[in-house]
Amino acid sequence: MTTLLLDASVLLAAFDPEDDHHEPARALLEDDAATLATLDLARYEVANVAVRAWRTPKSVAPLLTVIEKLADDGGILPSTSTLLTKAAEIAERDTISVYDAAYAAAADEGGHRLVSCDERDLVSKGLATLPASVRPGSAR
Amino acid sequence: MAKVMVSLPDDLLAEVDAEARRGGTTRSAVMREFADTALRRRREGRAAAMRSLLNDASPHGGRAAEQVKATRPGP
Repeated sequence: MTTLLLDASVLLAAFDPEDDHHEPARALLEDDAATLATLDLARYEVANVAVRAWRTPKSVAPLLTVIEKLADDGGILPSTSTLLTKAAEIAERDTISVYDAAYAAAADEGGHRLVSCDERDLVSKGLATLPASVRPGSAR
Repeated sequence: MAKVMVSLPDDLLAEVDAEARRGGTTRSAVMREFADTALRRRREGRAAAMRSLLNDASPHGGRAAEQVKATRPGP
């Protein structure tokens, strides 16, 4: 079974019915055939968006609860120095931020499949798959 | 199918072997079934929790990936 590593954009899209990726992102989180994980960075990123973009600080708690539920499933991977060193290499190679590259590095290190709504920097470069491209149960 | 070596406490192994005898199967089959059941229950628990949490979804304008980038610390 391949674990799906979700970046912050997927978690946020699942909470926002106005997002183009809302339905597939939500279906992914609710899929009981997939093993799901994320990176510890996602905690900061979802909280940042909830407070600074959505202007709804009360959204932070449920978003963080979603992440904690992933801890009970595929896990929350730590941003170690080894991981960030690899992320720096990916960032340089693919001209993306170390933040985005950290997810790609985590997926690569763990043999996971990265899922993201970031078409510009991750999906277009072959580093991630859109939520809609992951069929229910296909992670098994 | 991969073959692996697993270390188990003696009393746990005795329980696994007793379960295999009871079910007329092998030690490996029992451990496979237990692992599969435990992981499936974990996924099902997560999925059920998500269904409940996502009932509170509300509109925020979309563009999640762009919003993540826009709210990261600047250089």
